[in-house]
Amino acid sequence: METITNIQQQKEAHNDRIVFGHQVYGLVGAQMAFRVELLVGFDALIIDASDPDFTRLAIRKIRGHYNPELYLKPIFLINHRQVRDTLIDSLHDGILFSYDHLAEVSKKVDEMFMLSTQLDQHLPTNYEAQVFKKVLNFMFTRGRKVFTPLLDVNSVIGYSYPELSVNFERQEEAQVLDILDWAEKEGLIWPDFHERVYLCNNCSGGYLSYREVCPHCHSSNLASQDLVHHFPCAFIGPISEFKNPVDSTLSCPKCNKQLRHIGVDYDKPSVINKCNNCSSSFQDMFVKAKCMSCEQDTDVQYLVSRQINTYRFTKKGRTAAVNGFFSSSADTEDIFGTVPLETMRVMLHYAMERLKRIDGLRTNVSVLYIENMYELVHRMGTRSKKPLLTELVNIIHETISPQDFVSVETGMVFYMTLNDMSLSQAEKIVQGLDLKLEQALNKNFNGFKASIRTNTVALEPGIPVADQLQKLSQALYADR
Amino acid sequence: MKFLDEFFNYIHALDFDKLARLFWYFLIFEFALHFVFDLLIVSLWRFVKRFRQDRIDYARQALFRSRPLVSIIVPGKNEGENIYQLVTSLREQSYTNFELIVIDDGSDDDTPTICRTLKKNGLIAMYLRCDVRGGKASAANLGLRYARGEYIVHLDADCSYDHDAIENILVPFFYDSDIGAVGGNVIVRNYQASVCTTLQAIEYYNTISIGRIARSELGIYRVISGAFGAFRRSALVAVGGWDIGPGLDGDVTVKIRKLGYKISFEPSAVCQTSAPKTFKALIKQRLRWDKSLVRFRMRKHRDVFYPNETFRWSNFISFVENVMYGFVFNIKWFVYLGDMAFNFTSTLPFIILMNFLMYVFVNYFKFLFFSLLRDRKNAPVYYFLPYIILIVPYFNIFLRTVRLIAHFQEIVFKASYNDPWNPSKSSRYAREMKL
Ligand SMILES: [Zn+2]
Ligand SMILES: [Zn+2]
Ligand SMILES: [Zn+2]
Repeated sequence: METITNIQQQKEAHNDRIVFGHQVYGLVGAQMAFRVELLVGFDALIIDASDPDFTRLAIRKIRGHYNPELYLKPIFLINHRQVRDTLIDSLHDGILFSYDHLAEVSKKVDEMFMLSTQLDQHLPTNYEAQVFKKVLNFMFTRGRKVFTPLLDVNSVIGYSYPELSVNFERQEEAQVLDILDWAEKEGLIWPDFHERVYLCNNCSGGYLSYREVCPHCHSSNLASQDLVHHFPCAFIGPISEFKNPVDSTLSCPKCNKQLRHIGVDYDKPSVINKCNNCSSSFQDMFVKAKCMSCEQDTDVQYLVSRQINTYRFTKKGRTAAVNGFFSSSADTEDIFGTVPLETMRVMLHYAMERLKRIDGLRTNVSVLYIENMYELVHRMGTRSKKPLLTELVNIIHETISPQDFVSVETGMVFYMTLNDMSLSQAEKIVQGLDLKLEQALNKNFNGFKASIRTNTVALEPGIPVADQLQKLSQALYADR
Repeated sequence: MKFLDEFFNYIHALDFDKLARLFWYFLIFEFALHFVFDLLIVSLWRFVKRFRQDRIDYARQALFRSRPLVSIIVPGKNEGENIYQLVTSLREQSYTNFELIVIDDGSDDDTPTICRTLKKNGLIAMYLRCDVRGGKASAANLGLRYARGEYIVHLDADCSYDHDAIENILVPFFYDSDIGAVGGNVIVRNYQASVCTTLQAIEYYNTISIGRIARSELGIYRVISGAFGAFRRSALVAVGGWDIGPGLDGDVTVKIRKLGYKISFEPSAVCQTSAPKTFKALIKQRLRWDKSLVRFRMRKHRDVFYPNETFRWSNFISFVENVMYGFVFNIKWFVYLGDMAFNFTSTLPFIILMNFLMYVFVNYFKFLFFSLLRDRKNAPVYYFLPYIILIVPYFNIFLRTVRLIAHFQEIVFKASYNDPWNPSKSSRYAREMKL
């Protein structure tokens, strides 16, 4: 590292780090960028930005990580060249012209750290909320208050919201809009119209090639020409029929007279198009949009129209980073083999009434929470969420008895009943299930380490079902 | 009462010579040339038709065996609503191998939207629009230019068609390969709308369609109605399509006749049209129709009368008949009125009454007799019976006067060239070129 030659005395240079006062700055080199987990221990990171591609990759890896200790890291660029790159420009915390400037940024690093200690530590239980909470955390520590859409050729929809988009692959960019829609519905942000985009209805790509095509065979090999109306004989036809091979004059194919003066003896009332592919003639062409990503050719009327907004935080949104928030749309997932949570509540209510009347009956309720499900969904895309949950529900059904019910809340939390057994028996079954799910997930998703929390209670007659369920799930998050 | 007594005495006292002198017009033109002649021909037609039935059935089979593509072309301006109705009625047709081509001649209402929607839903094969109006002839020619069918059917957007109308109008082409064009049978749909439309319904029923049957049988039928006509495409292309109107329907028929094709009328191919509801509108329509007789028979196509290489007796007779019936007889009628008024001033009331009674009788007889012969009726026969009396002044005073005025205007002023029916850019040329 020849750049670290004239560091002042309080700086201590190593191969991969610079110690400045009490702060340790990690130097992100090529090998580091591929193992970003190793960067957790530093107070801040410095990326050598002489290669924009490397810079972009490193920033994506760090800011897109699900671990707050990574994605919240202050990042500074050195050797930065002015290359327009929306993602890089929006997601670093400062540019160092030389290491002499560390004194200036060190205060900023401390500030960001102080802010990050104020963050609410709870991880929301649904996917959208988890992604959004992550972005909230980042924006809070940077004092950012507006989601601004930026024109971005690297985004498949043409726009990106860097703080959010960094969590998605280029081809998943449309999901960013879904998350923003969700946050708007939750009352966390407030939209201001910015622009409208039309997206491929197959892959949500925004790079579309618009062409006028033949309405019959959809070929774009068209030739257009004027229609000519010769007044004296009422003949009307394409101008090519009035042309002769000898000179540039026009003469009427019906009456052989020469056309002289437009508006006097002839006019051009319209145009006609001819398809060179199927040789049909027509006036109204179709407009089709070919998607540059998936090659699907779509009628423009079937394109998906989406609004690109600038979003400001609402009052709820402004405080959500620190206070946490509860998603009001914590809906039950509609998965085959499950009952809605509401139904389960009613059933538990009846079960409790039976418990009161008949001695010796026992009912247990368990909750199972796959904490890092978000990581999986992030990795595979939201579309894979439902088939994955269906698979997990199948595994649960294999374990519990047929008369027990399963309910899935917002994709991460499974509720189930375990009837006619003691609490310890139930706990044992749930432990087994925990192991089974963990194995299944770890085996199927290379490098994924499922983190599952469970809790089981015996249903107590006399206490309202809602209270018991709340107690059940609160215990899951209590030790965090 | 005294008048009636005197009237009967007066009539009673007439001998044949005197009768012929007083009612020469009725006896020669109305009774002999119209009534007896039509009756004979139409009776003959009914008689022969029975023997033709096998050949007609065979022609129908041939039509469905070859199932040629038929292009239905519908030119018009601001006809959007009507086009929608038309499309729905055409979906019921028994002959289905047709393409519908709508030519929008510079509509300035929501016609383009309606037509584009219909086209998107596959109910119109082709929608061609001109941003500026070019007139009916150029619009029809544009349709012809892009029609792919072997036969061209020309329709009016504001008419409706029997479910077998397209089939029936095509059969004659397979009956006789010399036939170049077939006219459909137009009847009045809104015959109940006013006295004016009821009288027109009787006129279409009794005179126009019976006259066309007779002329078709004689080989001198000459005006294929623009509301419903079918053409061999080759014939239509050979004559260069339609020329500037008004009266382009008759004109194109004559041009096809001149090529040596036969023209046929098909009574079973029925089209219902909306007749003008008021006499004022009717006068306007008839002035236009009647002017075209002078313009096309006596001016543009007068070569039919010359013995040149395209001379055909049938064309000659057709024209002579047309000019006689439409022009000469009409003038004769007014000559007759003058004759009576000057020479028999004192007994004029008796003569008028007698004429009236004779006309009433003939019209009732014709109406009832023809009703027996026709298969397709738009209304029960009794509906029209009370109105037959009114037909007499309608024909003899109203229509004849309109016709006289039309002929006078056209001969003296060439008024049809100023008709707003055509955009002025076209009319100017028609006049300059003496078309
Ligand atoms: Zn094509
Ligand atoms: Zn011309
Ligand atoms: Zn696509």
